[in-house]
Amino acid sequence: MKKTHKFKYLPDRAYRSLIKGLLREHKVYGTVEKDGFPAFAEIFEVDDLKLSETPTHLSAKEFLFPQREVLLKFNMRTSTHVPVIEAEKQVLIGLHPCDIKGMGLMDRVFSHGVSDPNYLARREQTIVVGTDCVPDEYCFCSSLGTDKVEDGFDIFLHRISRGFLVRTSTDRGAELLSRLADSREPTVRELKELEERGAQRERAFKAKINGAPEDLPAIYAKSDESPVWEKIGAICYGCGACNNVCPTCYCFDVKDEVRPNLVEGERVRTWDGCTLEDFAKVAGEHNFRKSRAERLRHRFNRKFRYLAGTFDSLFCVGCGRCSRTCLVKINIVDVTNELIRESHRR
Amino acid sequence: MSLYAKVTDDSLKEFAREMDSPYLPFLGMVERSMRLSEKERFFAVVPSSEALLAYRPGQFFMVGLPGYGEAPISITSAPGDTRIELCVRAVGNLTNALHKLRKGDRMWLRGPFGRGFATNEMEGRDIVFVAGGIGIVPMRSLVKAVLAERERFGRLTLIYGARTPEEMLFTEEMDNWRRRGLDVQLTVDKAEARWKGNTGVVTTLIPKVSIKEKETLGVIIGPPVMYRFVILSLKALGLGAEDIYMSLERRMKCGVGKCGHCQINSVYVCQCGPVFKLSELGGLPEAI
Repeated sequence: MKKTHKFKYLPDRAYRSLIKGLLREHKVYGTVEKDGFPAFAEIFEVDDLKLSETPTHLSAKEFLFPQREVLLKFNMRTSTHVPVIEAEKQVLIGLHPCDIKGMGLMDRVFSHGVSDPNYLARREQTIVVGTDCVPDEYCFCSSLGTDKVEDGFDIFLHRISRGFLVRTSTDRGAELLSRLADSREPTVRELKELEERGAQRERAFKAKINGAPEDLPAIYAKSDESPVWEKIGAICYGCGACNNVCPTCYCFDVKDEVRPNLVEGERVRTWDGCTLEDFAKVAGEHNFRKSRAERLRHRFNRKFRYLAGTFDSLFCVGCGRCSRTCLVKINIVDVTNELIRESHRR
Repeated sequence: MSLYAKVTDDSLKEFAREMDSPYLPFLGMVERSMRLSEKERFFAVVPSSEALLAYRPGQFFMVGLPGYGEAPISITSAPGDTRIELCVRAVGNLTNALHKLRKGDRMWLRGPFGRGFATNEMEGRDIVFVAGGIGIVPMRSLVKAVLAERERFGRLTLIYGARTPEEMLFTEEMDNWRRRGLDVQLTVDKAEARWKGNTGVVTTLIPKVSIKEKETLGVIIGPPVMYRFVILSLKALGLGAEDIYMSLERRMKCGVGKCGHCQINSVYVCQCGPVFKLSELGGLPEAI
């Protein structure tokens, strides 16, 4: 927010012409209203798009890492395969800072070590348009420093009372903005309004981690024996909803689907979840994480500890989706704060 | 710790350019398909790429058939062999389909994956190999590699346990192993009167091995339940955590450190394992 020179002012009609231009050129996914809630869906005209300040239930990960994705096509008669990489140019509109940070982590996962061409091709073809948010009772990105973004998007739209202040972080974004919409330099008053909105947002956070994000890996490392795991394991349904809604859960299953002709088919990858019972089960029925407590401990550690060594980063972006969606109200902030409290007692 | 490092557009472009899919398997031609026991079948496979022969004992392939998926399968041949030898236990759709493969059929492989045994680290040491059930399959790769350079190792002992004598694999090769200086001791859980070997779990044989402390290494490969007990027995002999190697089984779907199924705490077994020293498992309470 300090780099005020980066902002342009976009009146409402210019915003509409920007979206129209994107719709003309690409497939566009954005936030729409679905049963009274914001959700990502394909949009076909400007008015389909309802930029939402409240978070979507599902993250935007499905557009880069689809719930079901073809890796290979095969023929059983000839015993052959061909690789499939599906990547269509697409625009994603309405991502909040947490979504953009989450996407940045996914970028790192799928480019780390053996890179994943399916994800990376799709990422390369994706234009990201971010927008501001207002925290609800589950949001805690301000505790993790993921509440503001400087990169990871092409265009970012900040709503002000009349129109938008907009910034770009890629050449692609700058090109699109200058070609598709008439913007002008912002006035001091407009910049001031943005600042005030930012301060108001900061005050609106209710959920808060009572510790520094950089201390969390060490706190989790000392919490393997915490009673918290049994406590939440006892109420967890093992439904995997937390995995599904998480913007940084990327574990997957791979299986072959055969067409009705019983000759051709596809090797597909689908989302999988470490909280599901079969996740770590091997032939002979041995399950390496048999209890829900063990599986939850694994998931929480993946977010705050296990991947920190490899990626030098937490894998939670504070979006609160797992807590928001949990049927038995297991809350990631409460669990983490409980572990912090226990670490103080020791 | 710097949180949330940046991936630039350029670095993504560079990665996306490599369109060669790590999920596309290599072709192998079955040269020999042989029944070993009621459940196990042995395959010698001619790989379509030399690169597939660059493996170490303890590594594995993702073996698959179109329409049936893939599963991690241990390598049972040793480096230097011109065929990839695999042994498959029929337990599900894929493995039952693999059992139908005969000479000339196509088998698909990705790999070799993981970290295998570093036999150079074992040089000069006495080694006690402890195999349970189909743990003998990857153990055979290590045993063959060690016997190929027999003079570089000290006293060698193999303790191999199976449920019944009928389920024992590679017994016909073991006379050859014995001649080359491997003390082979067999045990079964239950047997008829004509069985002349030992009866009981592998841990009943371990205390009878006389070893030189500080000079002996232990290697354990077997079903998940076996590790804890064998480790105790080897420790009782005087082996330390630095002296005990093991290969750990996990579920795997990708082989390239992404799908998450093989993860033990912070470690992806398909990348950092399946071979670990006991001393490396200190921070991994889920390992054994």
